[in-house]
Amino acid sequence: METYKPNPGTPVADLDTPCLILELDSLEHNFKVIADTYKDTDVKLRAHMKNVKSPMLAKMQMDIGGTVNGVCCAKVAEAEVMVQGGIDDILIPNEIVTKDKIKRVCSLAHKAKIAVCVDNPQNLRDLSAQASASGVTLGVAIEVDTSMGRGGIRSPEEGVELAKLATSLPGIHFKGVMSHQSLKGEGDKETRYIEGRRYIQMCLDVRDAIEKAGIPVEYVSTGETFTYDVATEIPGITDVEGGTYALMSTFLSYMTEFEYAGLMLGTVISTPRPGVAIGDSGMRAVGAMCTYAEAWPVVHSPEGLTVSEMYDEQVVLTSKGAMPLKVGDKYFLRLGQQDVTVNRFDHYIGVRNGAVEAVWDIPARGCFH
Amino acid sequence: MERPIFKPIGTPVEELDTPALTLDMGVFEKNLQIVHSFFKKSDAKLRPYVGTHRTPALAHKQLAAGGTVGGVAVGTVGQAEVFVNAGVNDVLITTVIPMQSKAARIVALAHRATMTVVVDNVANIDVLSKAAKAGGVTLNVAVDVHTRLNGTGVEPGKPAVDLAQQVAKADGLEFAGFHSYEGAIPGNGEAVAKESRKWIQKVLDTREAAEKAGLDVKSVVVGGTHNYDIAAGMKGVTEVPAGTYALLDERYRTQRSELKSAASIMATIISTPASNVAVGDAGMKSCGNDTGLPGIPGRPDLSISYLSAEHTNFIMDKAERPFTLGEKVRLTPWEIAVTCNLYDYMMAVRNGKLEAILDVTARGRYR
Repeated sequence: METYKPNPGTPVADLDTPCLILELDSLEHNFKVIADTYKDTDVKLRAHMKNVKSPMLAKMQMDIGGTVNGVCCAKVAEAEVMVQGGIDDILIPNEIVTKDKIKRVCSLAHKAKIAVCVDNPQNLRDLSAQASASGVTLGVAIEVDTSMGRGGIRSPEEGVELAKLATSLPGIHFKGVMSHQSLKGEGDKETRYIEGRRYIQMCLDVRDAIEKAGIPVEYVSTGETFTYDVATEIPGITDVEGGTYALMSTFLSYMTEFEYAGLMLGTVISTPRPGVAIGDSGMRAVGAMCTYAEAWPVVHSPEGLTVSEMYDEQVVLTSKGAMPLKVGDKYFLRLGQQDVTVNRFDHYIGVRNGAVEAVWDIPARGCFH
Repeated sequence: MERPIFKPIGTPVEELDTPALTLDMGVFEKNLQIVHSFFKKSDAKLRPYVGTHRTPALAHKQLAAGGTVGGVAVGTVGQAEVFVNAGVNDVLITTVIPMQSKAARIVALAHRATMTVVVDNVANIDVLSKAAKAGGVTLNVAVDVHTRLNGTGVEPGKPAVDLAQQVAKADGLEFAGFHSYEGAIPGNGEAVAKESRKWIQKVLDTREAAEKAGLDVKSVVVGGTHNYDIAAGMKGVTEVPAGTYALLDERYRTQRSELKSAASIMATIISTPASNVAVGDAGMKSCGNDTGLPGIPGRPDLSISYLSAEHTNFIMDKAERPFTLGEKVRLTPWEIAVTCNLYDYMMAVRNGKLEAILDVTARGRYR
């Protein structure tokens, strides 16, 4: 595991690297944007824990406001960490199909309000059987595929069938519908409004069909960071599953209201050629996405440098003019896709005004089970 | 920390909690036998690069298999600490270390193990020399030579020899030789051989120049899994720091037909939402797609369109037999070193049954 826990008060210049920094002012700013956005709206945030992997950060957002007082978790293991961290309302926007994992979900339901997603009738029956055997009630939402070509039903009719089945089964409480969206490539304010609305409408169409069939729909959980504000203008959405907003990723660089709170701190280990500095934060630590060029780290400071290559344990920084960095200098990288990086670290180094304020565990790191 | 359900030893691999990183020990041992036998007969020896699997239990297997220099190579000081703590007594760190705090940690390790580090500028030498003197130890120092990649390294030839002279003069340091990582050279057969020889020759020429200048060059450390035989076949190469050979991955599979994939990611199909799509529970967080997508052994009729954070998206358009809900799927990592760094536990399997749960102790040791 990753083991770095520097003392509070340590200046950034003295930190051992590479390490994962949380700029606490920026983090609080991002939490505040969410709280302000959802202050007087029906829709609230259900923060996605795949992004921050920490019940403490979840509670910080809850305290600042704008949330449903619950979270979503991608995996059962992640949900276990959140329940053990005192969170008592969890939606797993994912299908849970193996016997082992269904048992674990039912075990959690003794302690917290748990809902899972389904797109398959047999899976729904399996969940019902175990929930009954465990003496718990599982919330169930139907996943709707809108733009990812991934899990989720493809038509409102399928949704109605599943909702009917859900309401007929013991141990199951039918909650509503859920969808994820993804906006590939360069986004902008207009595109994300148009595309975001279109995707969310597909989810709402399923809700309408289910309600028409006489089944009440308690919640519509949809939306992401790139539609967090779009969702406030569409009636009927209850939760937005945003997560990236907290630490931010370069692939959402057009969401300029959020600050880069999650940063990789590195040290220059070599300046072997003119205009080139080699840093110690390589691909193992930072991560990369071979199929998604937008998710590439960007130099946060100093300004004017480019991340031109990443090797296992080294990053190649280049400058057009003279390289401002010398051996031993520190630099910060913005993360390409922050949850991939967070998943490789066991600690956040919380920094304010250039010094360590606190070191926080990332207890759900590696919780992909 | 990873939180799998720990199944009893003897559990069939299909019943492991997924996603699971599995290692077929029979295949692993066969890979060792092939590569280590080669190095037993070669003048150049293997220095297993254990930053690939980050697992001390496997490093000891490699060192016991013969044909090695008796030590390992790693990428960071943190990894070196893990392997020395696990009883390995000879470690080469292949990354340049100019920081005082890290030099002090290397010196501490040198009380318990033979430590070799690489340098590419005079300032590095100074930091290491001071730390070694202060700790009362001797550090072996190799000069890192710039060849094919745009990473660290002093230019081959005179600049490298000049730096080597500085190392030889420095208190507390012993000049070891030259190191270069020429990167993973794509392609097959003669193309890889030609390209490898071109870059390695620059290091060997540097060696010759250093010897002419009166330096004792004990080691030349070059090559990797894709060209271990080519590197070892060049006179003057003493060590090959290959790592992937033991577990193999998709990136090197076609380049090394004598080896087999020992490491896999076991996944479960969690959704079959349309006739042409199936979704697995292993995404970029449990496979890693830093440099490429995993393979699906035995299923040329299937492909992976993309990994999202927690999901595998399988394309089933041409499937001879579509996946069913709950079915287990074996994936082979594109780059095993990326995948091993995501897991805290490796499930060692023999004849399809769980034999041991290995700690991936050096996971996350980036510092």
